[in-house]
Amino acid sequence: MADRQELRDEELASLCQQGERQCFEILVRRYMEKAFHIAFNFTRDAETAKDLSQEAFLRAFANIKQFDGRSTFYTWFYRIVVNLCLDHARRRNRVAWESLDGAGEESSEQKQWADSRFLPEEEAIAGEAKRRADQTLESMPNKQRTAFLLRNHQGLSIADIAKVMKTTEGTVRVYLHRAVAALRQSLMEFV
Amino acid sequence: MERVVLQNACKNFEEDLVLYYYGECDATEQRRVGEHLTLCGSCRGFVDDLRHWLPQIAQAEPMTPAFWDDYYRETVSKLEPRKEREPWWHSWFAPKPMWMVPAFGTVGVMLLVVGMLFGKGNLTSFMQRPTANIPQEVLADEDQLQFFESMDLLESLSRLEKQDDSNHEKTNPQSSRALGRQETV
Repeated sequence: MADRQELRDEELASLCQQGERQCFEILVRRYMEKAFHIAFNFTRDAETAKDLSQEAFLRAFANIKQFDGRSTFYTWFYRIVVNLCLDHARRRNRVAWESLDGAGEESSEQKQWADSRFLPEEEAIAGEAKRRADQTLESMPNKQRTAFLLRNHQGLSIADIAKVMKTTEGTVRVYLHRAVAALRQSLMEFV
Repeated sequence: MERVVLQNACKNFEEDLVLYYYGECDATEQRRVGEHLTLCGSCRGFVDDLRHWLPQIAQAEPMTPAFWDDYYRETVSKLEPRKEREPWWHSWFAPKPMWMVPAFGTVGVMLLVVGMLFGKGNLTSFMQRPTANIPQEVLADEDQLQFFESMDLLESLSRLEKQDDSNHEKTNPQSSRALGRQETV
């Protein structure tokens, strides 16, 4: 098993297809953090993110034979995670971005937001700015939000995001620009 | 409360600056934007703002190693029943290597040829029906059925003849009248 750790994702997926199902556990180890964080960015709830990302692994495992190697394993897997998150968001009709923030209580993220760039008296503004930005992200159209989260939070290239979202790179660029513009706007608007 | 001060970029550079920040410009664009940034303070401020606040938006808090250990164990335990549950016939529907398509095709054609070559002589044996074991009442009914089928055939033939005659009259009315005269004579 130890030498299998060195194999590429696609080689592991191929071994899984041939019946060596233990290889999938290596893929779980490799992608669990990324899968969880994508789900968390969509849901803002750790338990839900855990359930969704684990469900993504189960689905990937059940459908591993459909992975044909035309795309990389991670774009194939990310598509499963993103689709599950979007389905979940649609079911709930809205994504609960603020569930971890706590009403009136400043989270560590907000504290981080108010870093050395801001003066102490501006911390309140920074907290509000953070809340605004999160709200804007919440109300953003699903495609813009997906493109933004995959690029900004997961570090996927625009080409890979296009594959995950089954669209063109030009469209992803537009989504990304619009998302960033909307976030900037939300920060500039509040007084 | 005051506004958060964010720098505005030159309008025709804004989209490129976002892509520049994410490292998604090609070499030519990269150079063009880089040159512009050395000259334009507000665009430089715009990129600095992106660098400052984009990484902080809606980021998850880091989880402990214990969380990840639990997560892994839980996921693997959820996978276990799926490993056992897969039915044997699933392997039939699994994607096959490309070389198997012509191989199966060739085998299929060969079986067809062999079947046609060796099965030809025995074809009549399929056509002959063993009637010895069939009761006489059934056989009599079968004869009647054949009789009715032949009657249907005759009716169809007479209908076709009538249709032919009417078509002929339409296309050549004089000849039909002459034919009528001949008939009266």
